[in-house]
Amino acid sequence: MIPPNNPEALIANVDETATNPVEGIDQEVGNFQYDVKYDFDAGSGLTADTVNYISQVKKEPEWIREFRQKALKVFESKPLPTHWASNDLENIDFNKIRYYLSQGQKSKRSWDDVPDDIKKTFERLGIPEQERKFLAGVEAQFDSEAAYSNIKEAVSKQGVIFMSSTEALMEHPEIFRKWFGKVIPTGDNKFSALNSAVFSGGSFIYIPPGVKVSHPLQAYFRINAENFGQFERTLIIADEGAEVTYMEGCTAPKFSTATLHSAVVELVAMKGAKIQYITVQNWSANVFNLVTKRGLAHEDATIKWIDCNIGSRLTMKYPGVVLKGERARGEVLSIALANDGQHQDTGAKMVHAANNTTSNIIAKSISVGQGRSTYRGLVHIPKHLTGCKSNTECDALLINTNSRTDTYPAITVKGDRNSVQHEASVSKISEEMIFYMQQRGLSEAEAMSLAVNGFVNDLVREFPMEYSVELKRLIDLEMEGSVG
Amino acid sequence: MSAQTSSNTSVSGSFTREAFEAHLAQVSHLPAWWLDRKRAAYERFASLPMPVRSDEFWRFSNLSRLTLDGFAPAAPVDFKDIVHESVGVSGAGHLVLANGRLVASEPLKAEITARGVVFDTIQNAFAKHGDLVREHLLAQPARLGSEKFAALHEAFLEDGAFIYVPKGVEVELPVAVFHYAVGAGAAVFPHTLVIAGENSKITVSDFFRSAAPKPGEGGSSRGPETRDPGPQFACGGNDLYAGHGSQVEYIAMQDWSRDTLSFQFNATVARRDARVLSLNLHSGGRQSRHESFSQLQAPGAHSEMLALTIAHGDQEFDQRTLQIHQAPNTSSNLLYKNALLETSRTIFSGLIIVDPDAQKTDAYQSNRNLILSDDAEANSLPGLEIQANDVRCTHGATSSRIPAEQEFYLRSRGINPALAKELIVFGFFEEIIGKITNSELHDQLAAIIRRKFKEQ
Amino acid sequence: MQSLEIKDLNISIGDKPIVNGFNLTVNRGEVHAVMGPNGTGKSTLAKAIAGHPDYTITSGDVLVDGASILPMEPDERARAGVFLAFQYPSEIPGVSIANFIRAALQSRLPEGEELEATKYYKNLYAKMDALKIDRKFTSRSVNDGFSGGEKKRCEILQMAMLEPTYAIMDETDSGLDIDAMKVVAEGVNALRGPKLGILLITHYQRLLDYIVPDYVHVMWDGRIVKSGDKSLALELEAKGYDWVKKEFATANA
Repeated sequence: MIPPNNPEALIANVDETATNPVEGIDQEVGNFQYDVKYDFDAGSGLTADTVNYISQVKKEPEWIREFRQKALKVFESKPLPTHWASNDLENIDFNKIRYYLSQGQKSKRSWDDVPDDIKKTFERLGIPEQERKFLAGVEAQFDSEAAYSNIKEAVSKQGVIFMSSTEALMEHPEIFRKWFGKVIPTGDNKFSALNSAVFSGGSFIYIPPGVKVSHPLQAYFRINAENFGQFERTLIIADEGAEVTYMEGCTAPKFSTATLHSAVVELVAMKGAKIQYITVQNWSANVFNLVTKRGLAHEDATIKWIDCNIGSRLTMKYPGVVLKGERARGEVLSIALANDGQHQDTGAKMVHAANNTTSNIIAKSISVGQGRSTYRGLVHIPKHLTGCKSNTECDALLINTNSRTDTYPAITVKGDRNSVQHEASVSKISEEMIFYMQQRGLSEAEAMSLAVNGFVNDLVREFPMEYSVELKRLIDLEMEGSVG
Repeated sequence: MSAQTSSNTSVSGSFTREAFEAHLAQVSHLPAWWLDRKRAAYERFASLPMPVRSDEFWRFSNLSRLTLDGFAPAAPVDFKDIVHESVGVSGAGHLVLANGRLVASEPLKAEITARGVVFDTIQNAFAKHGDLVREHLLAQPARLGSEKFAALHEAFLEDGAFIYVPKGVEVELPVAVFHYAVGAGAAVFPHTLVIAGENSKITVSDFFRSAAPKPGEGGSSRGPETRDPGPQFACGGNDLYAGHGSQVEYIAMQDWSRDTLSFQFNATVARRDARVLSLNLHSGGRQSRHESFSQLQAPGAHSEMLALTIAHGDQEFDQRTLQIHQAPNTSSNLLYKNALLETSRTIFSGLIIVDPDAQKTDAYQSNRNLILSDDAEANSLPGLEIQANDVRCTHGATSSRIPAEQEFYLRSRGINPALAKELIVFGFFEEIIGKITNSELHDQLAAIIRRKFKEQ
Repeated sequence: MQSLEIKDLNISIGDKPIVNGFNLTVNRGEVHAVMGPNGTGKSTLAKAIAGHPDYTITSGDVLVDGASILPMEPDERARAGVFLAFQYPSEIPGVSIANFIRAALQSRLPEGEELEATKYYKNLYAKMDALKIDRKFTSRSVNDGFSGGEKKRCEILQMAMLEPTYAIMDETDSGLDIDAMKVVAEGVNALRGPKLGILLITHYQRLLDYIVPDYVHVMWDGRIVKSGDKSLALELEAKGYDWVKKEFATANA
């Protein structure tokens, strides 16, 4: 989610087809669609031929084609996880999804070279302006492929690689192959298998030893086509002592049919490295957002996921960290806002695999109207580890009488030399609090927004400035009309 | 669902159709409706598969040890054949059932019976209080994963305890029910049914014990060696029904032999302004599964769910709980504390459900694990499903060791490590043990815990 | 008409009448104390004037400078100049005092006009210094984890910042030790002046030693039964509320 440069102007252009009464202006920002001519189209449905087609147009080496075909079989063999997850998954018709759409496989280094029909979308979303203002590099993916990908010269001179995964596979196979699919194996779950079969786009980042990238790198994922599935694959490697912040945003126009987004994101933090990965997910309310994200933290490394889920119909996403080296640290800070018709099924996984590792999870969710938010967590401390610490805090705020929240953590601790705690609470905003604020002159809606922002405030403080301002604005907009 | 072979047992194990028919023949004098229910239950049991790993209700459970083979419905025994220590609370009344049959009892005091209180076997209650039994016996469905084993319990349930307290009657002393499993391979199906009428008050304690037939030449030396009869199978249940404004206290001490496979199902129903406290001590068994299900059905209802587990050796204790708030202004408080020694494992999986109209619910759920060995493993799955907004619901789970400073402090006073552990475990349990107001029950519970440290 | 006029006000909670025919006019520049035993409707009066949804005004009127505020929402009443210092101020986790007061001031500006930040902070710090509130407090969440005295000082700070024309102070002395009460009283006295009318609701006389009222009214059974100057408060203190009860219980019968 990128702040638009001029929201008023954008809103004026919005298609008037929106019917969902609860969506705020935020979701409307991305709710437009220009006609785009696609040169490459894998058609609807998923077969071995679809997979071959994707591999072929990308001119991939044989090992990747085989990797994809194997993954397809795994995907087909795995049942939907409805024995624990939402039955809404059954509403995805995998035969109606279009698995690959692009104008070409090579991204442009200059906005001037990006075809007009695609460029105007990103301009309207304010991406080029953001890039000038505060980013070290930007990648802009349009449906299946990155249309634009560039990195500031000063940063690339330090040896930082930032490009679309499609290209990195060709240009840096030695680094790519070493880590690709190692943090998240194909068969991790049904959707990681799906992604492994049809992945396209996403970012590849390599930060050389000791390099600290001072400004964030950013990717923006745009779905434009109807009945489409976006399957980007992101791989970030921070070498010893390196530091990087990556931010991703996303939007899609609202369609009456289901759109599928199923990414796989793998992070590798080598000894002493720090990776901060920030997501502000604001898909339109017809998107199934089923994403697998995991990081591998080596000795003294830190991986921090900051995960905000505001959009989508159903999100299932549990960013994880495997704490592989001693003193590694994993963190997930997450905020979910579920409005009418939305189910934010999010959480975190922390797998401790070395001594003296620490993990920290803070999850806050807000359910509005008939929205439903679910926290699922996993904390695992296996045998013979010592000095591991894990802390989880989950707080849910329910705004309306019919709002819903669920919490399902799973904690396993072996041995007597570690400590784990988990606390969760559910609360509402009291009428007395609202009255108190009204007595100071704030309207009921302002009071509600202030209270909700107060609820997430300690987490939002952890965000980079640009994002915390944007997030606050999004919450204000989502809360509009939730009172009375 | 993938067809994993997660357990090495056949679907019915020792509990074959022939075994069931033989059991039915034993109880053919019981009412037809009950026999019909038993037949239906057996069909459910025989048709349901054994649990598999992918079943959320069996997450973390060790299914490889779960087998229904090698047991037989237990044969009748004599009271004098059982080695046991104290029986109940003096003067309070007790029943002793061994292998599912009444072998001894002390009736309630006449003045209590005169007020309409019934303390009898379920078999006798079928005849005298048929309507009450029919309304409340196993009236709540199993919802926590053990549908198959709950059906087995119903199919083979032979006899148990029936407690009925009429409107306005308060019974001061805790009545006690002893359930013995006697002999190697014995399969028992204990049951306790408690019905508390409006504004009544009752405390019931259940004792679950194993015994070997007494050695021939009067060698009644007490202790685990003679008590331990080898593998047994216990599949028991209790129904606690607390009517309008009543108070029910239920204290269970599970002390089966170390080789027992144990299932226990609890169903609690709390009506308007009723208060139920259930406290379960889990000590025995090789693998013990306890499912506890509280329904807060009307405003003002309160359920207190407490459990203490002291696990050692390679014991596994698997506890699944459900607190359902079905009406506004209800409250529940769950506290499950596990102390883990040696290579033991515990699983706590709890869920609070707040129904859409149950505003002003106040629900709490807490699982605390004290891990005392590097090889022990504690699993926690505390869960919430909240569909009303004006509620106060919290849960917490912690797993920790003995703080080093605490241990050192005790050691510096000259206390040896084993005793230090024992003291710390008692300290850890105190907030639950302290809720037992009757000193005899309190002492019996403490004795079971203390014995664990001797067995180590 | 520069006054807060309460005219023949009747208030009930649910079906239960609490305030019965209450009349009082507070002109700007005046301090009125309303005293009465517990349960006589003092806090009900304060909250109902502020528009609390639990209280129903069954008849009568409340006018601010001649215009009725009863059709207004609570926030509109506040912006019309009425400030309620709560007996039990609400906690607002995560919302800092600085942001909260700022939002409240911002809500008083016309659409499109932004509060000037530097001026705001200068003003805020000056008022905090005067109330002996540590500047670190600005980043603390409103009333969250505050002691009784801190909460009351925070109420006075808000009053000073929002500059109401009429302030209703509900049991402001409750929960305060003598030192804290002196600080709060000093704060209130500093705000006294021709632009502000104060209605002080209190059970005890002790606050009135520090905030000296122009008028004292005794409330009993939902209405004012006796009015006088500050000496009435002393008389009440000396004779106790039983005196009021005896004197007026019969009158009501």
